[in-house]
Amino acid sequence: MWKLICTVLLMLYFTQCQADSYDDKRCKCICPNIDSVLNNTSSDKRVLNFVTNVSADKCDCDGVVLPKIGDKLQGKEQIYCPRCDCKYENRNTTIIKIVVIIVIWVISLLVIYMLFLICLEPFLNKRLHKATGGVGGYQEHNNEEDDTSVAPGMSHPMGVRGNVLNRVGLQQDKWKRQVREQRRNIYDRHTMLN
Amino acid sequence: MEKFPLKGTSSVLFSKANASTLMNYNSVDAKRADGVERNMDNPNYNPGPRSGRGASMSSDEETIEDKPLSSMRQQESNSAYYERERAINIDDPCPQYTDYVDSEDIPGIGQYDDFHTIDWQRDIARDRMHHRYILKKKYDSMWDLIKGAHDAWSGWLCVLFVGIFTGAVAGAIDIGATWMTDLKFGICPAAFWLNKEQCCWSEETSFDGDNCTQWRTWPEIFGRSKKGVGPYILSYLFYIVWALLFASLSASLVRMFAPYACGSGIPEIKTILSGFIIRSYLGKWTLIIKSVGLILSVSAGLNLGKEGPMVHIACCIGNIFSYLFPKYGRNEAKKREILSAAAAAGVSVAFGAPIGGVLFSLEEVSYYFPLKTLWRSFFCALVAAFVLGSINPFGNKHSVLFFVEYNKPWIFFELIPFIFLGIIGGVIGTLFIRANLRWCRYRKSSKLGQYPVTEVLIVTVLTAVIAFPNPYTQMSTSKLIYLLFRKCGVAETDMICDYQRNFTDVNSVYLLILAFIVKFVMTIFTFGMKVPCGLFIPSLCLGAIVGRIVGIGMEQLAHHYPHIWMFSDECSTGEDCITPGLYAIVGAAAVLGGVTRMTVSLVVIMFELTGGVRYIVPLMAAAMASKWVGDALGKQGIYDAHINLNGYPFLDSKDEFQHTTLAADVMQPKRNETLHVLTQDSMTVEDVENLLKETEHNGFPVIVSQESQYLVGFVLRRDLNLALSNAKRLLEGNYRQSLVIFTSGTNVQNHPYPPLKLKKILDMAPITITDQTPMETVVDMFRKLGLRQVLVTHNGRLLGVITKKDVLRHVKQLDDEDPNSVLFN
Repeated sequence: MWKLICTVLLMLYFTQCQADSYDDKRCKCICPNIDSVLNNTSSDKRVLNFVTNVSADKCDCDGVVLPKIGDKLQGKEQIYCPRCDCKYENRNTTIIKIVVIIVIWVISLLVIYMLFLICLEPFLNKRLHKATGGVGGYQEHNNEEDDTSVAPGMSHPMGVRGNVLNRVGLQQDKWKRQVREQRRNIYDRHTMLN
Repeated sequence: MEKFPLKGTSSVLFSKANASTLMNYNSVDAKRADGVERNMDNPNYNPGPRSGRGASMSSDEETIEDKPLSSMRQQESNSAYYERERAINIDDPCPQYTDYVDSEDIPGIGQYDDFHTIDWQRDIARDRMHHRYILKKKYDSMWDLIKGAHDAWSGWLCVLFVGIFTGAVAGAIDIGATWMTDLKFGICPAAFWLNKEQCCWSEETSFDGDNCTQWRTWPEIFGRSKKGVGPYILSYLFYIVWALLFASLSASLVRMFAPYACGSGIPEIKTILSGFIIRSYLGKWTLIIKSVGLILSVSAGLNLGKEGPMVHIACCIGNIFSYLFPKYGRNEAKKREILSAAAAAGVSVAFGAPIGGVLFSLEEVSYYFPLKTLWRSFFCALVAAFVLGSINPFGNKHSVLFFVEYNKPWIFFELIPFIFLGIIGGVIGTLFIRANLRWCRYRKSSKLGQYPVTEVLIVTVLTAVIAFPNPYTQMSTSKLIYLLFRKCGVAETDMICDYQRNFTDVNSVYLLILAFIVKFVMTIFTFGMKVPCGLFIPSLCLGAIVGRIVGIGMEQLAHHYPHIWMFSDECSTGEDCITPGLYAIVGAAAVLGGVTRMTVSLVVIMFELTGGVRYIVPLMAAAMASKWVGDALGKQGIYDAHINLNGYPFLDSKDEFQHTTLAADVMQPKRNETLHVLTQDSMTVEDVENLLKETEHNGFPVIVSQESQYLVGFVLRRDLNLALSNAKRLLEGNYRQSLVIFTSGTNVQNHPYPPLKLKKILDMAPITITDQTPMETVVDMFRKLGLRQVLVTHNGRLLGVITKKDVLRHVKQLDDEDPNSVLFN
């Protein structure tokens, strides 16, 4: 699981490093409407936003606002500028992109696995049970079974030790048992997490 | 080393008990307890896990420091024993130690079953043994030196990893949740992974701050129109459908993969940290599902927050990483030190408040919090906050969306409205706790509990339908809090600031009141649903709304009557002398304080959120008032109430035990029942197996013989089981007839089969009390020493056992509650 995530992360990182259509820095100034300093009695309360990509030390009214609307202010810069609110901000769109894509991936993987467990697994199990003659029928869970501390090597004979698939299957069974137990505690018996 | 008053009695008892049978050996055994380190010379000789028990819990390092001194003292006083023991060991190559495996080799010794209480004393003694062993070996070889160094720094390394991962996971959750929340409204077609704010980030929208061309709402994508009835209905529909989709995904993922991921997790974390085992509550799947489910349920627009579950997520990470270091992974008491640090990191990333996180861990969740854990928590919170800060999930250089910066002074008179807010906060908190508990109890006992997913869906639809028309409930709760905390300035375009000169236009206030009612009612029904859901954000939001409304009222007052005495001329200029945003902050603190009953950590979290040290006094006043009012109206905070509701075995160290019962009243067995015991050297394996089959006790006292009833020690059921099954594997044939002996066993009478020696699983220093000990003392011992059980004696003979469960039941019984609601051991 982690390896998968790491590789996805790395791949995304290298493909993303070059091209980025969105800037990661901005200087944003919010100023009141020009009418408010020009004594025009208009009820226009909308504000002016100025967004430019300048360096952090130039992110103020003089560097951002005045070049754009300085001519309209008719020499009232001294009154207008203190009312402006300038902020220099940066972000990292690459991280955002990677994270969002990972989130989508994880959710869809989980949903697919959930659908698999709901729809396909009962069929597979039924066939398996018919084949084995119901040996591995439903076992009542008890405490000894989910004992994580018992070394895994001891619980099954030496012959199957090398079999990775078998081990994964055992782990999965153990996990399923645990989840079943959790479900019983929470949804049926209401002993926890009410 | 003698810090327990009881140690004396138990060792006296012990030597008395052995006096009859083991004249030679018991003196050696008795000394063994303090002379551990010299026994290390002999590889065959392992004095067992409990020998170092005499040292107190809090002085981990201290014992190392005074070791040379104490061993010197022993050298002098015990030289006779020392010599003799040596002689014995050399002359007689200890046949009793060679024929059975070391207790460390039996897998699972020292671990616990699911839903059991841990024995802090035993685990800490085990850790000390391990530590001494490492120290002893340190100078043997280079490799051992490296091992020793690794052992020494592994705690710090572990919390470093925990901090890094907690920060990273929190960043991912923040980014994912903000993106998905905005997905309900529209999408950024050019870069679908950006949320609305990020999408319009570099766009200059000169005149209309609310819309930008890059961001497309759903009606725009489908209908090409923006305003009107049709698009409104369309976006309404999209809002509901998305919310429904997210909520159903969250609920079904939780149900399918990790049911333990639901809820806030803080009551359970508190219980776990107090020494209780809930297997896989802090596992991998819980971590994954809780993170993903949290993103989904927050984005669904439900009235819940991601801040409380962040603590659970951090603790999962702590638990997973502690398995990398056997010192912590194998020792439940030590693991809880890492978990305490992780809880601090969780709050640290949730609020961008590292110090607040440490204090939260100390004040609210942790049970055992020595100074070493405090420093580790500090470091862990720092690392986590740093990592989250460098991810910068909101693009505002802070780790929370609603960070506001304030440095406006407040007038002295304002303390009165702040205290008033505190009182309101306490009332709201108590009302909320009562209503929520009643609803949870109803859910637990009625048919409603059988339809967890349906319940989530219904609540989601209701929330979405009610929330959409009101702009304050439509936006995400964090954004609303941000809006309420902010001061009105030029940057603020919302109508919340639009009332200044014209009080007839009070639309926003009505909308806020409406939002308050909706949020309050819906949060009651939401908290406790089977999705990951936290409580911090909704209660902060409720408080912020109330505070803002009070603040607006105060501002109007100052605006209309700037010259009355209470403003002491500070408002005579007529310009913003009252900041409604500050009232919102204080109100938020008050309601959160009323709900959770936090004080110190709450104030620190709030002032770290606002970056304003000058508001400490208002926040403190509000938090205190809210706590007083809350405690007067209802005695428990929400977390304690939920612990009580679930019947977790949590012995609160804040409560006082005020009854005058005695240990004899609480002790098991009651009259007319027999006490199940083991004898030290006269039971066969078959007898022991029968005893295990017939009884369900989790541990058995070991006595000298049925006639004398003198106490030898205590053995846990689990250890006994493991040792027996281990013996079954090793000794073939009819081992069932062989004797089980708990002594060093040199003078066992002739018996056809080789005896099974289980001295190593025997706890030779169980805490004992007499039957006349007042329960007050007993409860205190359980709390402060973290005991699992005490043995009760009378005239030196064993009389019974008191377990933690007995104590909890007794407390409940005396408080007129149902003692059977305590569920586990």
